[in-house]
Amino acid sequence: MPRLLATQSHVVHGYVGNKAATFPLQCLGWDVDCCNSVQFSNHTGYGLDKVFGTITDETDLKQLLSGLFDNFPRDYQALLSGYLPNKNSVRCMGTYYAKFKEENPEIIWLMDPVMGDEGQLYVSEDVIPEYRKIALSPKQLVDIITPNQFELEILYGEEIKTKEHLKKALEKLHRTIPVIIVTSCDCKMFDDQDFIYCVASMKGKTPVVYRVPFIDSYFTGVGDLFSALLLDRVYKILSNPTTTLEFEDQVNNVLNVIQKVLNVTRSYTSGKINAKMGSALEMKEMELRIIESRDIYETININEKDYVYTRL
Amino acid sequence: MTSTLRTTKKVLSIQSHVIHGYVGNKAATFPLQYRGWDVDVLNTVQFSNHPGYAHFTGFKCSTEELVEIVEKGLVGALDIKYDAVLSGYLPNVQALQKMAGIVGRMCEEDDNVQWVLDPVLGDNGRLYVEEQCVAVYQDIMHRSKIFLATPNQFEMELLVGMPIRTLDDAKRGFEQFHEKFPRVTRVVVTSLELSDFSNDNVYVVAGFDSSLSDEVFFYKIPKINATFSGSGDLISALLTDSLLNGHGPIQQPLSTSLGQVLWLVTTILQKTYELNVVDRVPHDEAIRIKDLKLIQCKDILKRNLVPSIGKPETIKI
Repeated sequence: MPRLLATQSHVVHGYVGNKAATFPLQCLGWDVDCCNSVQFSNHTGYGLDKVFGTITDETDLKQLLSGLFDNFPRDYQALLSGYLPNKNSVRCMGTYYAKFKEENPEIIWLMDPVMGDEGQLYVSEDVIPEYRKIALSPKQLVDIITPNQFELEILYGEEIKTKEHLKKALEKLHRTIPVIIVTSCDCKMFDDQDFIYCVASMKGKTPVVYRVPFIDSYFTGVGDLFSALLLDRVYKILSNPTTTLEFEDQVNNVLNVIQKVLNVTRSYTSGKINAKMGSALEMKEMELRIIESRDIYETININEKDYVYTRL
Repeated sequence: MTSTLRTTKKVLSIQSHVIHGYVGNKAATFPLQYRGWDVDVLNTVQFSNHPGYAHFTGFKCSTEELVEIVEKGLVGALDIKYDAVLSGYLPNVQALQKMAGIVGRMCEEDDNVQWVLDPVLGDNGRLYVEEQCVAVYQDIMHRSKIFLATPNQFEMELLVGMPIRTLDDAKRGFEQFHEKFPRVTRVVVTSLELSDFSNDNVYVVAGFDSSLSDEVFFYKIPKINATFSGSGDLISALLTDSLLNGHGPIQQPLSTSLGQVLWLVTTILQKTYELNVVDRVPHDEAIRIKDLKLIQCKDILKRNLVPSIGKPETIKI
């Protein structure tokens, strides 16, 4: 049975960060070791005055990761990193993960470089060089990254306005990272604004563009669920040299699972699906129904939609 | 379609967190979630692994952090209605007192909230917490309305203030318990080594439900040649599910729930044991199994109709 270590945020109530990633991965048979970079009552979309809890400080995070890797130096087949609250925690995760990866080169590291969205940073600016250092390391540490377009631009160093430009950015980042999934691309680059565009690129192959229906409501944690499922699906390819599974289909499958989870989630809301950020009672209704979706995570190729739209 | 969906039961679980392995919240969360519960997970500590390993690192959360998250966050800003609160390891006297105060108030203010309290003090004659916590737990259990308490043998001895070595001791222990803590409706002692059965290679799990009868009931469980960390935490979580999941129209008696939970737990322990001894030469010595194989047991946890481990025996008190 595979085991992975996930370092990201923990919320007591609701499903983002480790709470969104852990249960689905456990349902898929993973032993998930969760290192919590924060413990908050709930996610910040509830309004900053309604979030309580603390950040795991650098000394504590160092001790946890060093204690863990000392005790279990060969136990993980995969590493996952998501939201980390500041420069020190990103650097700390990067240092320990890099060391583990160098000692266990066959393992898979998925890094979600959580920095911001749609032109807005939600971490402090000094986090940027830390993520760039890890992503662009000539040691080729990270196997998969899952940035949104804004985060991709930060790692690449330039704004991306055209498909050609996007292709160039992917090519450049592939020098150090074999798998890149851009979770939401600026729809202006494509045609129809009622959709979300996602680009999956594996080094040496033509990047595939997927188009999924845009759900006009505010769900938090979708990206974290996406990274977790993607890690499982890509692990199944990379860990098995004789696999017949195709990368393109595996990403399509993840998008199908996400759509099904969103449908389950919507079926539980009381009709109003346009919750406002900062309204605690409305936010509570918009939490992903991760538990109620228990039987969805494993479904492979059952009533699947083909979301492939085009190739770059 | 919406109207046919059940509402999801909500539990707040206040326990320790280990990154690696399955004790405390890590032992409780996945089984509860897999059986359909929306679990709010409040971690009282974060350790790399449990202290049963030679080395561990990590930290305890401050009392202020725990209090604020529940009082200002979950109960205050979010106004979450829980069906149950499951409380376990709290790292010090102050945290224990404050958190018990908050949970006690939640239960008094809302009859729907049921408190399942695991009075984590220690095991096998060794305390994990400051000695003062014994008196604090006695006080909490004296004052508060508690749906179910789940001490182990050592904790039961500390709470009632007498050694429990025989079936007769156990019976008197339950009498004492009910006398001292009349507001604790149900109690399950999660593992008892009793001299009456020392030749039968069994241990005993015993319970008492003051709302139903004046009988103590107990199950004799064949021993596996191993010790496990986290099995008590798993019992508390699964009892919470069995008693409060709301699947059935009426409240199931504790003895029935315990019989089913013990079937689940012994099946999980047996599978964990088998997965651990696969590559070993058979030997007589009991092995120490540090981590339950909970994920590998998900099909066991998934069962809707859970069989019972058997028929309980009873003693009148």
